[in-house]
Amino acid sequence: MEIVPAVSRAFRAVPALAVWAVAWGLMLALDGSADLANLALVLVLASAVSGLWLSAAESVAVCALTVLAFNWQFVPPRGTFTVDLRQHIWLLLTMLAVGSMVAWLTARQRLMAEAARAMAAQAQWLRSFGEDIRAQPAAQVWSRLATALQQLTQAQVCVAARTAATGPHEVQLVQGTASAEELAHLRECTRSAQASAPALADVHGYQSHVLPMAGHSGCTGAVLLRLPRGQMLPASVLSTAQALCNQTALHCERAEVDAQSRQAQQEAHTQKVRNTLLAAISHDYRTPLATILGAASSLLAQQQRLSAEQVRALAQTVVDEVQTLGTLTDNTLQLARLDATGVQIRRDWESPEELIGSAVARARSRYPVAKINLRVATGLPLLRCDAALIVQLLNNLIDNAVKYGPAAQTVEIMARPLGHELLLAVADRGAGIAVAERERVFLAFERGDTGSAADAARGAGLGLALCRAIVLAHGGSIVIRARQRGGTSMECRFPLEAQPEQPAPEGSAA
Amino acid sequence: MMTVLLVEDDRELRATLRQALSVEGYAVLAAASLADAQALWAHAPAAQRPDVVLLDLGLPDGDGAQFLEGLRQHSQAPVIVISARHQDSDKVHLLDQGADDYLVKPFGIEELLARMRVALRHRGRSVAAAVTRYAQGALDIDLATRRVLRDGAEVHLTPTEFNLLARLVRSTGQVVTHRQLLQDVWGAEFTEHTHYLRLYMGQLRAKLEMDAAQPAHLLTEPGVGYRLSDLRA
Repeated sequence: MEIVPAVSRAFRAVPALAVWAVAWGLMLALDGSADLANLALVLVLASAVSGLWLSAAESVAVCALTVLAFNWQFVPPRGTFTVDLRQHIWLLLTMLAVGSMVAWLTARQRLMAEAARAMAAQAQWLRSFGEDIRAQPAAQVWSRLATALQQLTQAQVCVAARTAATGPHEVQLVQGTASAEELAHLRECTRSAQASAPALADVHGYQSHVLPMAGHSGCTGAVLLRLPRGQMLPASVLSTAQALCNQTALHCERAEVDAQSRQAQQEAHTQKVRNTLLAAISHDYRTPLATILGAASSLLAQQQRLSAEQVRALAQTVVDEVQTLGTLTDNTLQLARLDATGVQIRRDWESPEELIGSAVARARSRYPVAKINLRVATGLPLLRCDAALIVQLLNNLIDNAVKYGPAAQTVEIMARPLGHELLLAVADRGAGIAVAERERVFLAFERGDTGSAADAARGAGLGLALCRAIVLAHGGSIVIRARQRGGTSMECRFPLEAQPEQPAPEGSAA
Repeated sequence: MMTVLLVEDDRELRATLRQALSVEGYAVLAAASLADAQALWAHAPAAQRPDVVLLDLGLPDGDGAQFLEGLRQHSQAPVIVISARHQDSDKVHLLDQGADDYLVKPFGIEELLARMRVALRHRGRSVAAAVTRYAQGALDIDLATRRVLRDGAEVHLTPTEFNLLARLVRSTGQVVTHRQLLQDVWGAEFTEHTHYLRLYMGQLRAKLEMDAAQPAHLLTEPGVGYRLSDLRA
């Protein structure tokens, strides 16, 4: 971002002088062969062309001067300012009038074009500044403003603004340094929203401009420009600086409003999720609780009339259902924990093979008759993850595959690297999940679906919602795929990181 | 008769465990708080000092770590930590501080009894002779002669593999945390290098297990450490 500096006055005069030199050369050359009126036309032409570089007043002055010189050089009697013939007087006056008028018009036209160009450049500059700060985090906006103002004015810049820490009626210095007196002026400027050029007692050798940062709903802060004494800022630069300040203020206001609305949305969403989650959980808890109460109260009331085998079966029912409740509780707590914003998971280097082994060991003890088949590639890379969470993910996927698939099926667990990702999949031979449902099953709770289909899926819903949360917390993805010969494959992909350095291999000695 | 100190603040769970342990032939001292537990320990006659401690993590007047710290100043009695799922990191911390094993609520009584049997088998091992032999399933590991047999055939281990295995053998049946393994096998400056463990446990499983993906001996405790299974428990 840079404003093209105005071409200096002296530099601008050079082409104008050149034009006049050429014109005089031409006139001297034509002298004798062309008559006076023709020579005068050359002069009028030069006057028009030189207006391209000179100001209006300069053009007129130069034109008057050249008419006098023309009189001296060409109009008889030559070498004097006296004029013999009346028609020559008319010629000179006409030359003066036309030359001046043309020069003045050209100069004015040029100035207007220059002003339009400068305004367009300023607008473009402001626009790109606006785009620049929009892409910046809030903390960077002030330094961008200070840099832009410094480029524009060559002044030392300090910025005071309202921030989250100051509250709505106070400002603090967010960029640069300021004396107590300067800070007082910045405060006053923020309050009054008036630009000023205060005379500051304790900053010697400098003069200051204080500009408010005015937004729609008041002033969000102020800017102080510190210039060497005697160096004035042109009005156009000052107005650009003011525009920058206002643009920054508007941006800050907009960002504040955006943040507020985002937060409100998030709160509403959290509340909704919490409500549906609670409703769903209380529903999910009822079934195992009812079964446990039934079995336990039967043991209590019918003890004398039950066979030893019946007692054992009832007790087993209680144990099984309590395990279900235990899993449900773990899932609920973990989902609530992962749902909380800014949750940190404990990552370490883990072996996918070990985690799968751990989940499979649990599944085998919990479902002794289920057939579980492992297809785990050898030499899998290590995964940087939270071991407990990944095991919980696998437990849930295996639980679902066992519970919702046919009794005679084989549950397959697969793990293999896939480019820069690790693929973990648990597949069953169940009824499958309709394409339309595949995304919905992960969101059963967030959507708060009701109806029989939602009820049927709900047992799996909490578990799947948690699976999704775990995968997302690790920066991975989870998708449901239909298998070729029936059934569903739940596929999780986790990004792989650069592997840690391992100790050098040793020769076997023991 | 073995004596158990049961420190658990929930009345129902305390009563249930107390009864179950009595049925198994243990004498049970039950405490509902840290202060209770400390008083029970202090006032028990020397001959009746508890042989094993079941320590709940969340107590009304303090946490289990305080009790463990006081206990370890004068006793090597095995301590089994009982934790809820959300106390994962506390649990690992207590294991590193000298607790012997852990159980996560809810747990079955048979699980508890198995852990207690293992803990009692190791009782006083730090002063008496350490475990130097592991002969279970297809494995026969003799630390004294540094011989490792699988199905009767000798298995060659690298020195580090052997040291790691030996550390687990000495705590057969008990969980050994990542930190403890790294410290004892590689040294104190390697306690964060869990990836070393992943590599060497993988190598050990490949050499010692029938199916490395479904180990029968070298078990993983996710997020905590490793356990050499004790099939007798």
